[in-house]
Amino acid sequence: MNDDERGTRLKRAAADVGGAAERLPHGRPGAGTVRVTVARSASDSTRTFEVRRHEPMMVLDLLLAIQREHDPSIGFRFSCRVAMCGTCTLRLDGTTVLACQTPVPVDRDAVVLEPMAGLPVVRDLIVDTTAFWEQWARVTPYLVPVEGLDEPARLPQGSPERELIDPSLDCITCGACYSSCGIADAGRDFLGPAALNRAMVLIADSRDDAAEQRLNAISAAGGIDRCHYIYGCTAACPKGLDPAGAIRRLRRWRRTGVPEPRVAPGGPASDALAPTGETPEELA
Amino acid sequence: MTRHDELGTDIAIVGSGGAGLMCALHAARAAPELRIAVVSKGAVGRSGCTRMVQGGFNAVLDPGDSIERHFMDTLEGGKFLNDQELAWTLVGDAPRVIHELETVVGCFFDRDEHGRIRQKAFAGQAFDRTVHRGDLTGIEIMGRLRDQMFRIRPVELEDVRALDLVLDGDGEVAGVTTLDVRTGAFGVLRARVVVMATGGAATMYRIASPAREKTGDGVAMCYRVGLPLRDMEMMQFHPTGLLAGESRMTGAVLEEGLRGAGAYLRNAHGERYMERYDPERMERSTRDLVARASYSEIMKGRGTPEGGVTIDISHLGAEEVERRFAGMVARTRQIGSDLAREPVVVSPTAHYHMGGAIIDRDCRTRIPGLLVAGEDAGGVHGANRLGGNGVADSTVYGARAGDTAAALAPERPLGRPDPAQADASFRRALEPLRREDGIAPFGLTRRLKDAMWEGCGVVRDRVGLIEASRQLDELEAALDTVAVPGPVASNYSWQEALDLRNQLTVARAVLAAALAREESRGAHFRSDFPAADNERWLRYVVVERDEDGMPRVDTAPVDLSRAAPPAETAA
Repeated sequence: MNDDERGTRLKRAAADVGGAAERLPHGRPGAGTVRVTVARSASDSTRTFEVRRHEPMMVLDLLLAIQREHDPSIGFRFSCRVAMCGTCTLRLDGTTVLACQTPVPVDRDAVVLEPMAGLPVVRDLIVDTTAFWEQWARVTPYLVPVEGLDEPARLPQGSPERELIDPSLDCITCGACYSSCGIADAGRDFLGPAALNRAMVLIADSRDDAAEQRLNAISAAGGIDRCHYIYGCTAACPKGLDPAGAIRRLRRWRRTGVPEPRVAPGGPASDALAPTGETPEELA
Repeated sequence: MTRHDELGTDIAIVGSGGAGLMCALHAARAAPELRIAVVSKGAVGRSGCTRMVQGGFNAVLDPGDSIERHFMDTLEGGKFLNDQELAWTLVGDAPRVIHELETVVGCFFDRDEHGRIRQKAFAGQAFDRTVHRGDLTGIEIMGRLRDQMFRIRPVELEDVRALDLVLDGDGEVAGVTTLDVRTGAFGVLRARVVVMATGGAATMYRIASPAREKTGDGVAMCYRVGLPLRDMEMMQFHPTGLLAGESRMTGAVLEEGLRGAGAYLRNAHGERYMERYDPERMERSTRDLVARASYSEIMKGRGTPEGGVTIDISHLGAEEVERRFAGMVARTRQIGSDLAREPVVVSPTAHYHMGGAIIDRDCRTRIPGLLVAGEDAGGVHGANRLGGNGVADSTVYGARAGDTAAALAPERPLGRPDPAQADASFRRALEPLRREDGIAPFGLTRRLKDAMWEGCGVVRDRVGLIEASRQLDELEAALDTVAVPGPVASNYSWQEALDLRNQLTVARAVLAAALAREESRGAHFRSDFPAADNERWLRYVVVERDEDGMPRVDTAPVDLSRAAPPAETAA
């Protein structure tokens, strides 16, 4: 992906969180309070809090305010607070978001926070992500290097392979797509959008030697055929990735075979992937 | 004895950032038969700061560049306080590690039209050598390292915090005590080798950039078992942290590349104040100098109402800024500002701790069986770290720790932790939970951050340092009255109390070292000793725990084994 595409993608991500649309006063306390209802595990826990607003205020700030000023026992998780770790995923009024990069809606005086869908709750807003990672592991998510490659990643930035792969990197494994996918939610065996996106990237990667194994995994029960193209995943991705597009591409590859240029085992990638001057249909 | 589980492993790695996971990968490759356990306070591969790296990774790849130049840049950046063997090892290993990250780990880095890795310019370097993937380099490195764990399958103790190192009867490392954050269960993890790789402690400042996990746990644990620490006074402040009021976004970094691309820094009067501090390099000056200039402007009453200065790159045109700095634009829009179109309020933000445990180039410490890697170790960066040398450090030294651990483990017995030490560790951890009445930890954390910001921040003096020490005394006393109501499972207030204890321990050592260094060098600026003093202070400060648990300070000369500073080294 070149800088332009990356710019467009991130701009979209920025617009999605509403930051561009609603200009907020900088650093000044906002007016009034917001009523926050939190799904709690223990039946005797407080569920509703009147939280003082300040601006800017992310959903994560709501939770920190509850923890510090209302109920220190509230369970939620976060780490980096800048949309890189992918651990603060939850549902805000039913929509899966990253708490750290989602502003508290200025036009609502009450919000509901629930744990992400499709995974068992550990406590309050904390879920057990084991199932998500089990599916991830099923696609052989790591590079299986082709033998004898000297500098296998020697792919020009504008090469068809990089154009295909680059927009699909940057997955932060936050699980927002998994939570937003009706099928991953309902069936325990669906690989889910994130794992399939990862599979697509590795199958396209000429440094990798396990494409066949992965194609088998995604074609088996629980694979790409379970997807019904609800597009919840692509809509939810906080990084602007398109897992639904990745799944569509995998289906096409199953039908037509994985497009060349892929590196011949043992050969230097730079030769096998010399720019051809045109983008094969399947790569687009 | 407090109830606990017991687990044995050959190699126990504490921390799952760049250093921890590279360590696991290398140990597994060197000796696949060894059992490896990764202990991580948060999600494996998704905690800590390697993940948050925007800019990139310095490595000599171009034939026009040289290891010697990277080395000299690193020493000049570090104001010659570096352990030269550690710095030499860093720059020497970095190209190999970049290669490995691509060919073995599967990372993608940005490449040019010829297929060569594209390296960009970073402040303080004589050559464009920073490898990157857009402005999300850390996600690529950590995402792929995390994937590698599915290949080598270490035992992952996720959401498990290490409480203390435990030694055996001979004073050698025997393992760590642990607390499962999710369940509240205690454990003893016995090991032949322990690798400490938890990351630094910059979160002890009011305005700070790191992830929440970075509360100095590793350094505090090392200190408690008697390891000497060096360069603890060297805390790096990144010049451009966001100010977002009470939002947790405050302190998040706007990347260094903005200044490189021509952004202006202005005070509240609209003056480009760098003219007064570094007229030649202006905004492109080094991190320490720019941070100090901004801080001075704010302290002299020339700051914005929010207590910051502004960074402005809008003169490049909105489209250009959006194209080149998309991630940063998104970050500012999220808080109701817009980097592409207007000045954004920023402040220096505590970013990286150059100080840490004393190690050799194979990550060994004075305690047999205990290795330290990454930000938990001191000496690589001296008095100031270059942008792009941080992720290089964590992966280079993580890899070395893995190699050393794999070689060392078969020679060492499975640790037999002293039960009294383990039990003391559990009982201490339980105190805030058992206390019926007491105060919440959050206010104390805030007071610590204020005390360090005001007394031991960008600019320091003796009076301020002594006042901060006095406040730390109070906070330590108050820590003994903290109570954390709620369950043992997923009780993050309890975790905060445990974090705070480590932060206080490290803060003590930082203050002690900052008081001792009566000169200014790199990140350490003393307004009462504003000049560098190479005559007396080409020495590093060593802090060790004395019998009463208080820091004992000593100094040792820097071994100028490879290069000496030029006659006049500016502070």
